Amino acid sequence: MLKHIGFLVLLLVSTLAQAASNDSDKQSNSPLQYSEKQWQKITNKAKGQTVYFYAWGGSQQINNYLRWADKRLNEAYGVRLKHVKVTDISEAISRLVAEKTAKKDNNGSVDMVWVNGENFKSMKKYDLITDSFAKKLPSWRYVDTSLPVENDFSEPTLGLEAPWGVGQLIFIYDKANGRTPPRSFTEMLSYAQANPYKITYPQPPAFHGTSFLKSALLELTTDKNALYQAVDKTDFQAVTAPLWQYLDQLHPLTWRQGKQFPKSSAETNQLLDDGEIDLAISFNPNEVIRAQNSGELAATTEAYALDAGALSNIHFLSIPWNASAKEGALVAIDFLLSPEAQSRKGDLKTWGDPTVLQSEFISGSAKQTKLFKSVSEPHPSWQSALEAEWQKRYGH
Amino acid sequence: MSTIAQRIGKITLLIISLCICFLPLLPGLIGLFVSALGYIPAINQYQFSLTGFNQLFDWPGLSQSITLSLFVSIGSTLMAALGCFVILQSCWQHPIWRKLELFLSPILALPHVAFAIGFAFLFSPSGFISRLCAQFIDGFTASNWSLINDPYALGLLLALMLKEIPFLLFMSIALLKQLNIEQTMITGRSLGYSSAQVWQKIIFPQWLPKIRFSLFAVAAYSLSVVDVALVLGPTQPPTVPVLVWQWLNDADLATLPKASAGAVLLLVLCVFLLALLRAIEWLFISYHRHWQTRGRFALPVTGKPLLGLICSISFVVIPLLLLWSFAQRWRFPDWLPSRFSLRFWQQEWDYLYDVICSSTVIALISASLALLFAIVIHEHNNGSSKPAIPLKIPKLLILIPMLAPQLSILFGIQVATLLTNSSAHMLWVMWAHVFFVFPYIYLALDGPWRSYDKRLDKVALSLGMSPLRAWWRIKRPILLPAIWIAWALGISVSLTQYLPTLMLGAGRIATLTTEAVALASGQDRRIGAIYALLQSLLPVFFYLIAIIASRKSGHKLSLNRTNSILSPRAIMKKTSLRIKKLSINDNE
Repeated sequence: MLKHIGFLVLLLVSTLAQAASNDSDKQSNSPLQYSEKQWQKITNKAKGQTVYFYAWGGSQQINNYLRWADKRLNEAYGVRLKHVKVTDISEAISRLVAEKTAKKDNNGSVDMVWVNGENFKSMKKYDLITDSFAKKLPSWRYVDTSLPVENDFSEPTLGLEAPWGVGQLIFIYDKANGRTPPRSFTEMLSYAQANPYKITYPQPPAFHGTSFLKSALLELTTDKNALYQAVDKTDFQAVTAPLWQYLDQLHPLTWRQGKQFPKSSAETNQLLDDGEIDLAISFNPNEVIRAQNSGELAATTEAYALDAGALSNIHFLSIPWNASAKEGALVAIDFLLSPEAQSRKGDLKTWGDPTVLQSEFISGSAKQTKLFKSVSEPHPSWQSALEAEWQKRYGH
Repeated sequence: MSTIAQRIGKITLLIISLCICFLPLLPGLIGLFVSALGYIPAINQYQFSLTGFNQLFDWPGLSQSITLSLFVSIGSTLMAALGCFVILQSCWQHPIWRKLELFLSPILALPHVAFAIGFAFLFSPSGFISRLCAQFIDGFTASNWSLINDPYALGLLLALMLKEIPFLLFMSIALLKQLNIEQTMITGRSLGYSSAQVWQKIIFPQWLPKIRFSLFAVAAYSLSVVDVALVLGPTQPPTVPVLVWQWLNDADLATLPKASAGAVLLLVLCVFLLALLRAIEWLFISYHRHWQTRGRFALPVTGKPLLGLICSISFVVIPLLLLWSFAQRWRFPDWLPSRFSLRFWQQEWDYLYDVICSSTVIALISASLALLFAIVIHEHNNGSSKPAIPLKIPKLLILIPMLAPQLSILFGIQVATLLTNSSAHMLWVMWAHVFFVFPYIYLALDGPWRSYDKRLDKVALSLGMSPLRAWWRIKRPILLPAIWIAWALGISVSLTQYLPTLMLGAGRIATLTTEAVALASGQDRRIGAIYALLQSLLPVFFYLIAIIASRKSGHKLSLNRTNSILSPRAIMKKTSLRIKKLSINDNE
C-alpha cells in the first residue's frame, strides 16, 4: 500500500518536474520572468485597484471590448479597468510630461496607455516609461515572437511595452458600384482622373492620414532605404519630392478638391456607405466584417491591400513610470495578452483585431484572420516630418 | 439673529463667494502668461523667451485662421443681434409671443454640441435634407460642396447664429420690461409713426446698450468655442481655438510654447473683438445719431420666418437623433432607416447610467453653489441694505469667465493644479464649473434684480423687519420665478461644459458632453446620436422642473398684460398688507 502511494507520489513529482522543465523550454527568457511567488504578490496587491486605461475612444467596438475586459478582470482578479477615451493618445502624453515636471513620481493619473510609433518614441525620450515589464509577464509565453513584437516602427521596445495586436493599412471598396479599385498609388491617380472626387484620405496628422502618406512615399520614392533611418540623416526634400508632386496632381481630383479631408478613418467608412467616395481606409484587416455586422457598411463591400503590400505595425500597451495602479495594470495587460482575451478581441463580429499570439492558442472566429503581405513601417521620425511638411503645403 | 451676527454672516458669505468665483482667474492668467513667455518647466525650459510667439507667427495659415475666427464671431454676433431684434419687433405684441415663451426654454436647453450634431445630420451632403431632396428629384446625388466643415466656416457661423438668437431673446425679455414698450408705442403711434419705425428708431437705441453684455458673451463664446468648431468648423486651417487645442494635445511636446502663445493670442483677439463691438454700438447709437431723428424711414423686416426657421431646426433635431439611435442600416438616399435595431441602446445602457449620474451630480452642485453666490453678489451690488464692504463689484470682473476664452484660462489653471500634486479631480472640475456657470446665472438674474422695486424693502425695513427677514419674506417670493429659471440655466450651462471637465478631470470624469464630442469624432452616427440625445434631454428635464416651480411660486409673470398683478402699485399694496400682517404676528 505504502509502496503504491510512494510510487504515485514519485510519478506525480516527476510529471510536475517534466511539465516545469517543458514550460521553461517554451519560455525564451525564463530567468527574466516573474516567478510564481512574485506574480502572486502582484495579483494580491492588484486586487481592488482601478486601472485608468488611456486609449483611443473613437470606435464603439473597441469600447465594448474594453468593457467586456473590465467585467472579466473584475471577476477573475478583482481589478477594475476604466477606459479613458482620448481622441489621440498624445493627450495622455502631454499630461504625463506635465506630471513629470511637477515631479509627481507616484499616484499618477494615467495607469496604462495604448500606444505605438511616434508616441512610444516620445514617451521613451521623456523617460515616461522606465519599467521593462513585457517579457516578465506570464502571458509572454503565448506571444508569437516571429512577428516584429520587439520593434516599434524600427525603434526597439526593450520590453517597455507589451504587444497587443497587429495593424495593417487596407482599403475598402464597394463591389456594387462596378469599378475596379486601384492596386497601387499610381493606379489611384489614374482612377481619380477617370472618376473625379471619389478618392480621399483622412487629414494628417490623424493616424490613418499619415499612414496613407507613408505608404505612398514607400511606393513613390527612389530611395527606400532612407525611410528606415532617422529623417535628419537624410535629404528630406529630395526623398519626398515625388510624394509632393503626386499629391499636387491628386488633390484637385479628391473629394472636395483637396480643400477638405475626412477627419478619421471611420468617417471614410460613412462616406463610402453614402456613396460619396469609393475607397475607405482602415488599420484593421477585419474592419469590413465588423462594419457589416454593425450596419455601417453594405454587404457588398470588401477589403484589400495594395499589391506592394500593406503597411503593417504592431500596437502596444504600456505603463507610465508613476502609475498609481501599477500592479493592476500589469495584471490587466497580462489578461489582455491571454488566449481568452486575444480570441475575443479577434472575434470577427466584435472587433477583429489580429492577434499577436501563436495561432494554436487562438479559438473561435479569430482563427480565420488572414494577414495581407506586409510592408514595415518607416523610422518614427518620418511621421512628424511628413505631417509638418503636409501642413505647410496643404494645411491651409 | 442679532445684527452683528447678521453682519458677520454677510461678510463671510461675501468673501467666500468672491474667493470661489474669482480666485481661479489668478492662476489662470498668471499661468497663461508665464507659459507664453517661455517658462515651461514641463519641457525643461526655465528661461523667459519669445520662441513661442515666433513659432506661432511662423505657422503657415495663421492669418487665415485668425480671419476665419473673427469672421465667425463678428458675423454670428451681429446677425444674431439683428435676428433677435427683428423677432422682437415682429412678435412682441403678437399672440405668438405667449407660445414663444413656452418654446424658448426647451430651445435654450438644447446644448450647443447636440445642436451641432443635429445640424450636421440635417445639412451635410448626405444628410436628411439631401435625402428628402433625393426622394423628389431623380438622379440627385450628394453634392460636392458642404455646409459642414466648409473652408469658409459658413456652417459654423450659421449654426452659432441660430443657437444664439434664443439666448439673446431670453436676455431681452427681462430688459424690455424695463423699457416700458407700451407707453413708447402709444406715444409714437399717436405722433404718426408706424410700429416698425417706433421699434427701430426708439426702442432699438435703448435695447442695444442694455443687451451689450449678452452680446459680449455671445461674441466671446463664438470666438473661443472648441467643441462646436470640432464638429462643424473648418479643418484647413481650423479656427484659432481649435488650433491651440490641437497644439496643446500634440505628441511633439515642443509645440507647448506655441500653444500658450496661441492662447494669449486668443485672449488678445477676444479683447479686440469686444472693443470692436463696443465701437460699433457707439458708432450707431451715440455718434451717428441722425438716423434716429431724421425722417420716417424704417427697414421693412419680418421676423416670423426667422423664428419659424429657428424653431423648426431646433425641434427637428431631437426626432432625427432619435431615428439615428435606432438605425441599423440607413444609407443615402433613404429618408428613413431601412433596418432598425435596439442593440445600440442595449449595449450603451449600463455605461450611460454612470455617465448620466456624474453629469447630473456635477451640474446640480455647481449650479446650486453658483446660484447662491450670484444672489449674494447681487444683494451686495444692488441690495437695499448697507453693503458689508463699501465697494461695488464691477460687472466686467464678474463677467470675465464668460468673456475670456475658456481655453486660455484653463491652461493656467491646469498648470496650477498640477503643482499642487493632488488627485482631487472632482473638486477641481466642480470648482471650474462653478467658476464658468456663475456669470451666466448672474446675468440671468440681473434684469429681475434691477426691475425689483426697492421701495418694498424700504417699507419692510421701516416696519421693523430685519434685513434678512425682509429678504426672505418679501424679496425672495417675488424673485423666485426668476431664480428657478436662472438655476435651470446654470444647470444646462454646467451640463454642456466640455473643456473644464476634460482638462481638469484628467479625462477620468466622463460627462455626457465629453462622451458626445469624443464619439462625434468616431463617426458612428448611432452612438453619437444616443449621447447627443441624452445630452439634450437632461437640461430640458431640469427646465421643465424650473418652469413648473416658477409657475407655482411667486406672481404669475406675464409680459403683455399692462394691468398685470406685477404693476408696482399692486405689488406695493399687496406686500405692505402682508408686511403689516407679519409685523403684527411678530409683535404678538
